[in-house]
Amino acid sequence: MPGLIGRDGFEQVARAALDLNGVDGVEVLFLHEFGGLTRFASSEIHQSTYREDTALRVRVVTQDRVGVASSNDFSVEGARRAAQSAKELASVVGADPLFPGLAGPTEPRAHESFDEATAATTPEERAEAVAQLVGRCPPGFTAAGAYETMAVEIGVATTAGQVVWQPTTQASLTTVISGGEGGNGFAEAFTAGAAEVDPEAIGARAADKAVASQRPKPLEPGPYTVVLEPAAVSTLVGFLAWIGLGGRYLAEGRSCLSGKEGQQVIAPSLSIWDDAADPATLGATFDFEGVPRQRVDMIADGVFLGGVYDMRTAQQTGRQSTGHALPSPNPDGPFPLNMFMSTGDATVEEMIGSTAHGVLVTRFHYSNVVNPIDSSITGMTRDGTFQISGGEVAGPVMNFRFTQSILEALSAVSMVGRETQLASEFFFSASRVPALKIDRFNFSSRSDH
Amino acid sequence: MPSGGPPGRYVVSEEAAPVLDVAKMAVEAALKAGADYADTRVGTDLTEGITVRNQEMEGIDRSESTGLGVRVLVNGRWGFAATARLDESEIAHTAAAAVQIAKAAARLPGEAVSLSAVDPVEGSWRSPMSEDPFTVPLEEKIALLMEATRRMQGVKGVTFAEGGMDLFRRSTWFASSEGAAIDQVTTHSGAGLEATAVDDGEMQQRSFPNSFRGHVKANGYEHIRTLGLVEEAEHTATQAVELLRAPECPTEITTLILDSGQMELQVHESIGHAVELDRVLGMEEAYAGSSFVRPQDRGTLRYASPLVSITADASLPGGLGSFGWDDEGVPAQRTPIIVDGVFQHFISSRETATRIGDVSQGAMRADGWQHLPLIRMTNISLEPREGSLADIIGDTKNGIYMCTNQSWSIDDKRVNFQFGCEIAWRIRDGKVTTMYRNPNYAGITTEFWGSCDAVAGREEWTLWGTPNCGKGQPPQVGRVGHGASPARFRDVQVGVR
Repeated sequence: MPGLIGRDGFEQVARAALDLNGVDGVEVLFLHEFGGLTRFASSEIHQSTYREDTALRVRVVTQDRVGVASSNDFSVEGARRAAQSAKELASVVGADPLFPGLAGPTEPRAHESFDEATAATTPEERAEAVAQLVGRCPPGFTAAGAYETMAVEIGVATTAGQVVWQPTTQASLTTVISGGEGGNGFAEAFTAGAAEVDPEAIGARAADKAVASQRPKPLEPGPYTVVLEPAAVSTLVGFLAWIGLGGRYLAEGRSCLSGKEGQQVIAPSLSIWDDAADPATLGATFDFEGVPRQRVDMIADGVFLGGVYDMRTAQQTGRQSTGHALPSPNPDGPFPLNMFMSTGDATVEEMIGSTAHGVLVTRFHYSNVVNPIDSSITGMTRDGTFQISGGEVAGPVMNFRFTQSILEALSAVSMVGRETQLASEFFFSASRVPALKIDRFNFSSRSDH
Repeated sequence: MPSGGPPGRYVVSEEAAPVLDVAKMAVEAALKAGADYADTRVGTDLTEGITVRNQEMEGIDRSESTGLGVRVLVNGRWGFAATARLDESEIAHTAAAAVQIAKAAARLPGEAVSLSAVDPVEGSWRSPMSEDPFTVPLEEKIALLMEATRRMQGVKGVTFAEGGMDLFRRSTWFASSEGAAIDQVTTHSGAGLEATAVDDGEMQQRSFPNSFRGHVKANGYEHIRTLGLVEEAEHTATQAVELLRAPECPTEITTLILDSGQMELQVHESIGHAVELDRVLGMEEAYAGSSFVRPQDRGTLRYASPLVSITADASLPGGLGSFGWDDEGVPAQRTPIIVDGVFQHFISSRETATRIGDVSQGAMRADGWQHLPLIRMTNISLEPREGSLADIIGDTKNGIYMCTNQSWSIDDKRVNFQFGCEIAWRIRDGKVTTMYRNPNYAGITTEFWGSCDAVAGREEWTLWGTPNCGKGQPPQVGRVGHGASPARFRDVQVGVR
């Protein structure tokens, strides 16, 4: 299996693009990823893969005209060709009046994010972990899921003097256990190191939920008090990031938070921030323009303070970049990839115990935006949805569709969990969030399972 | 790289032979490493994207990616490995890695994979194209989008006028240990407009010809020339502005008429995904979910009203899901999925077809060389019936007509769905009346399709492209096609709050 290309190897190839003649500026974004995924279903390993790939994404600027070309040919010649192609594109387009320049030399915060053992995980080790998880299935139940171990090194170099490089790893194990007379259970772990993944614990948790989910009953849709476990909360937070917290949408009046700086937008018990350098999250501490990612307090005690910005939206709005650029060109603008939600003092059991009539949700599925301006989204519950009655879990219920404003839901939070989990709504980001009790949450219809 | 040509099948071209030799070398390396069966794909993906916003360049980019993927069976277990480096030692290393992965899968007991039979072929295929979009001057493409956005900006009240164009070419060289040697090139071209109006805390959008970057087909630039972007720009922008002042779509149970563009996604989500045999067999359970359809439902399940017939056709000219052979070397087929409302066939692979005593329907495709092939929709289309959209509207006493998809969501068994559209109108006594903003509707798959009582005819039928279909772990993006005419459904919940 390959290893890291390393900072020197990256710089050597990037130099071939940075030396392009006849242009005002060049930026090279380098990505190298390698790793494996062991996928299982019906308690059999059915699709296992390994892949290695590189990407060189070269942005060339000449008189504020910008062209981007990328190639997976990681060589001096490949870098030259990509740069030349980007130059050709830049030569035929009009000037970008908002082009902010390229990132200059700034040192990102330190964050130890690479684990050698995770990068070197073998197919046999992943298969063994999956076997341990599957071993927790009760008779008549089977497990499906995936265990992935990946290493990614990212580098950015610019002719303005910035050179940053960082290797990262991540391990994720996700499962749905199903069987019996109908009913599923879900559990996952999302970490920087494979050693932190406990397959038996994940299997046991999903199995317990699957057993408890047998023979779900129909419950009328409508407004309910809900207890959302962290995976479900990550859906609300992830979509809020997408439609609400990016500087471009905010500046253009397309965000549900546009013009609401300084206003109470969610419950005072909640704060939301982004901090790539926190050891409790994953990823690099600089963005895809090479700008160091700053901690950004977006919502403090329920009050909206501001969003995240890349260099272009920062220039557009008279700010400094917060280091949240995605790869260019990017129509959605900046995005917070490492979000955190504040904790409270409650356990999930206490949330359930204080609920006379409600629903416990393990996670949501296939959610999508209904109206970005009022922050409403829709989606389904799955893999563990339970009725709460008289302060106890009364039994499984068929899955609900929710249609709900995120801001209204987070405004109706009455209890906040004391522990957090790293959970991922979108495959490219993760949020560390607690469980929440929400006093009013709209289930608009119901499914048949 | 081949530059395209008429549809059809050919012998392997001289230019393809050297790359096919690389694919064959990888097959040999896998067999040497212990594989019982091996297939390999060498692939090159080429893309170009242009976005113009308010007559300024929003972004222009090109990408190129080349590599090789090796898939093996060892003792009935799959292994797959992929690399971007194509030297001989790396190919041998990658083939050995695939074998190691397959052997590791034996850590858990399971049924050995058995492949349905296929005649190995040597051949070539090209998607139809008369004007290579990658050789059309950039200046011309940009000028088209600039003019379209200029016309949209001319409409008072438009905040953002955006035009986008996306070009895609995938070249694949496939070889298998059964003797197949295939090279294929497909070229996709698409473009579209999006007008956004923002005012007083409200935002509305209209797209043309369809949302999410327009109308993509497996054709050359000649497709983009037929779209009428400039001609439709002003009308598109005008509707976006009008929507700002339109009333909200009311909440009611009513008759629903959907345009062809929304029918595309209705077919995709509530039929196309539900009949993928890997989902049915639980292989996608933990991620995208499974399906309410069961193997024993073939020939018996009343999926829809008798007006509804659905066909999977990988030979449809211009379809994003068209090919000569799938990524297992199975030839393109036309398969009846639903006939007169009754479910008939799944879309399948060599492995899954065997499990239900069938032969592969030829639907295995990978998102490039670096991914394992999965069952993907080909071109899953609603067969046209008779009459026009105007006939359907004229025949409707009271209802809602919705156009152009804006959002989608469906449960993990493809039962409960909810879609949002960009725009709607009240139909009253056969006439289009009040415009509504923020329309949406929800339903249960078989109830909804069972309520279909009108499907428009061939003249209203459009072959759309969906180039962003997500599935699998690691995530893959599929490029699939759907043809559809406008259709009418009774007693549907609209205006979900």
